Amino acid sequence: MKKGSTAKKVAGTIPVMVLLIVLALLVLVPVVWMVCSAFKTEREIISWPPTFFPKSFTLSNFTDVQKRIDILRYMLNSAIYAGGTTCLAVIVNSMAGYAYAFYNFKGKTGAFLITLATMMVPIQVIMVPLFLIVFKMHMYDTYFGLIIPRVAVAGSIFLMRSAFSGIPHELAEAARIDGLSEWGIFWRIMIPQVKPAIITLIILSVNGSWNDLLWPMLITSSTEMRTLANGLALFVGQNTIEYGAAFAGAFISLIPMFVLYIFGQKYFVEGMASSGLKG
Amino acid sequence: MKTWKKFLSLGLASLMTMSTVACGSTSGKSNKSSKDSGGKTEVTFWNSFTGADGDMLVSLVDKYNKENKDGVKVKMDISTDLDSQLSSAFAAGTGPTLLLSSSTYRFTYGKYLQDISDIFDKTGLDKSDFISSYLDYCSDGDKLYFVPFQLVGYYMYWNKDLFKEAGLDPEKGPATWDEWKQDAEKITNKSKNIYGSGISYGYNYQIAHIMQRFGGLAVTKDSNKWKANFAENEGYKKFLKMYSDMVKNGDNPQEKETDPMMTAGQIGMTVGGPWVTAGLDKAGVNYGIGQIPTGDAGEMNSCEVLGFSVTKNASDKQKEAAYKFIKWWNTADKNGDSPALQWSLKNGYPAYMTSVMNNAQYQENKKLQAMTPANADAPTDFICDSSFEGINGILSDVIPPMINSVAFDQSSIDDALKTAQNSADGIVAKYNK
Amino acid sequence: MKQIYRFWNNPKRSAWIFLAPSLVLLLMFSVIPMFIGLGLSLFDVPVTMDTAKFVGLQNFVQAFHDKRFLNSLRVTAVFTLIEVPIQTFGAMMIAALITKNNGVNKVLRGIYFLPVICSATAIGIMWKMILHSNIGFIPAVLQSFGLGKINFLNTPGLTIFVVTFISIWRSFGISAIVYVTAIQQVSPSLYEAAEMDGAGKIRQFFSITAPSIRPTFWYILMTRLAGSLQIFDIIYTTTNGGPNYTTESTVTYIYNRAFSTTSSMGYASAMSVILFLIIMVVTVLLYRRMNKEESS
Repeated sequence: MKKGSTAKKVAGTIPVMVLLIVLALLVLVPVVWMVCSAFKTEREIISWPPTFFPKSFTLSNFTDVQKRIDILRYMLNSAIYAGGTTCLAVIVNSMAGYAYAFYNFKGKTGAFLITLATMMVPIQVIMVPLFLIVFKMHMYDTYFGLIIPRVAVAGSIFLMRSAFSGIPHELAEAARIDGLSEWGIFWRIMIPQVKPAIITLIILSVNGSWNDLLWPMLITSSTEMRTLANGLALFVGQNTIEYGAAFAGAFISLIPMFVLYIFGQKYFVEGMASSGLKG
Repeated sequence: MKTWKKFLSLGLASLMTMSTVACGSTSGKSNKSSKDSGGKTEVTFWNSFTGADGDMLVSLVDKYNKENKDGVKVKMDISTDLDSQLSSAFAAGTGPTLLLSSSTYRFTYGKYLQDISDIFDKTGLDKSDFISSYLDYCSDGDKLYFVPFQLVGYYMYWNKDLFKEAGLDPEKGPATWDEWKQDAEKITNKSKNIYGSGISYGYNYQIAHIMQRFGGLAVTKDSNKWKANFAENEGYKKFLKMYSDMVKNGDNPQEKETDPMMTAGQIGMTVGGPWVTAGLDKAGVNYGIGQIPTGDAGEMNSCEVLGFSVTKNASDKQKEAAYKFIKWWNTADKNGDSPALQWSLKNGYPAYMTSVMNNAQYQENKKLQAMTPANADAPTDFICDSSFEGINGILSDVIPPMINSVAFDQSSIDDALKTAQNSADGIVAKYNK
Repeated sequence: MKQIYRFWNNPKRSAWIFLAPSLVLLLMFSVIPMFIGLGLSLFDVPVTMDTAKFVGLQNFVQAFHDKRFLNSLRVTAVFTLIEVPIQTFGAMMIAALITKNNGVNKVLRGIYFLPVICSATAIGIMWKMILHSNIGFIPAVLQSFGLGKINFLNTPGLTIFVVTFISIWRSFGISAIVYVTAIQQVSPSLYEAAEMDGAGKIRQFFSITAPSIRPTFWYILMTRLAGSLQIFDIIYTTTNGGPNYTTESTVTYIYNRAFSTTSSMGYASAMSVILFLIIMVVTVLLYRRMNKEESS
């Protein structure tokens, strides 16, 4: 009996494993091609027949990037933009998500629908009015102008709302009876329950700002204020593309995000273990 | 739980440092942004020179900032999306003082640009040194909006090795379009994935430069009214027929990205701007440069002009400072060397000034010589009469649908031209009011 | 002081305290620009907004007669109909398979997430190169297997699916990770109980996992829907609408109209209003459904 079920189990996992590995290859092959290309000469990247692994390994693309742009300065700006936005976004958006998930109040549907509506207009249309507002508030070409308008995001509020919805309301009631303030319930009881969602929010928010091209371009006007994404876009000219440098730049910019993701994943696991999955 | 607290406190701490950094640098900025930085007049300078030539622009501007005794500091910003950045900045009443862009920007942003026709009197630049047909691009009547910076003409490039393999003379590209078609057939080698001709259906500028060789300008002035010339244009018909035949025969790829194919040595002949050479040089392709073959419409040297303009954001003092920079760009030192000359030599852009054209170094440069027109008096208008304001509409809304519907066999050539005529009529009507 | 505290500590009122920061920020930086932007749809106004002429509903009339706009709506619909189900259901299933925190799954999750953290510009160039009909790596490999020449990026009818694939390829990782997070929060005791009853993995997925992560499902569905209907980035960096406008999405067209040098901001806004209404109607219907489900 027991033997049979293990055999069945194994037989069941094989197709699953195959599926997962095929998917992984589908994702990995292009990315690896891009990374490999960062180490190819320009001549080899654009050649017939095309190659996958570099025939003649070179670091010239990286020295090119390093020579042409002030990577450290741009990285610092990216870190300030991404870090600042994310820290505020976590607080503001989880507060809102909590309110939508846990309270019943007049105007809830209206407020939530307005929040959702902000996801539905393409940035291209609101760009100029938004610029006017930022400019009139004297935030043009400052870190504040870069960060503050990007803090509240409907999608993130929705994400946090979904995370909080999974928590039973009895938990809040019990804490209320214990005499905890509303803020105390949120901060001390609820936030620890949604750690994994917050980690997700952090990763998505940092990543979104890190790779954001349009907003920092629009809201800053001096080279010292530009982010890494802006700097790397310089290798994609109007008429010509420097493929090697563009891929090398993409690779450099990928590394911090990957490290962040690995750390995030560590916290996922730890978060799961320590919160002990109440409820 | 503990790790959680640690994490939160870390987050808060970093938030605090962020905001101090942010405050610190904003306050630092506001000190700097006062107009005279260290007694110098600051000129904010926007352009969209991403890529390798932008790098050269950066170093030339640095050089000016270091060496000039005019008390001017040029603060340059290269934009990856100049249109979005400019339009929102202008709408808010801010933006650069000095702008480097296509001269057609005056049709869109004209209200924000200053008349700079007094630049020659004020700086002593010699107006007669500038070739007048290019200055025409930059002017509206007596008003001058741009000082030429660069001429963007399109040229023919051919792969000498592929010519040799096909038994053609590698030193001579085709002189007419019939020759182009014949050569393309010979060069095409299906087993090696090689195409003779490389005309892209998705490259409106390339199509426009070629098309006007066949059928002349798409918009012309006819007794003080603009007139679109698509329907029944025998030249355009011939071009579209040739293109469609070559695609069907497999002598021209059905591909938008033809430039990388040329770089990879997979294309025999193509048409493109001077920047094509950078990629070809890097890839070690053995190529020749020449004028685009002439067609039925006769000789022409179609080109676009890019130029410096001064915006209305500039105070008188800043305008004067911008003038000084423009003057420096176009002034030769005692060796006859000027930034304008360096720019031409290094990037392969033909000269817009007689003095540069006559410079010995310029004369020795083979690339530039191949690009310099044989008949300098031939008309230079690009696809529309150079004073037609709707040129961008023709380029982005009329030509692409036309070439696409032919490339993908969606409509007959006559119908494609009729549709093009209709939409061009719509654009023309707007400017005939 | 205490009174103030007591007044606001009432659960009915403190909701607004929690909402205040986000509402203020959204109002200032999203809602107001949105209304200005949408208001422009009634004007004939260039992107620099220096002149504006009131034209009433003329922009809307024009939109419904504009073949390119109608075509772009069709392209957007095709794109959305493929992308959204894969991102909502496909990602959910894959997530269920990689939820357990073992080494293999961690690696797989890391791999699936890779495209998300690459820059969009680089991804666009990479796909353009790797799929290039002449010098691309993938067509060359397929050709060497005797599968013929496939022109992925220049075949009307095919390219839209290629672009959809690239878009899914790029953001599949986000949906999967969000689902994984949600699934991990489902109490293990539920699974233990199901196991005791002899329920298999597949039944567990449908009877426990799927119902427990409903809120996340709604989140993915609604954000993906809004995102897909506004698809822009991937198209802009790969095909830019070609070949022959078969991949020109509505927002790609709006962008062209707003910022190309023949700019007409009013017309672009009018098209956005139409798109907005479409998205809003779908969202409100879904929202109703979601609320009903959650209250029951």
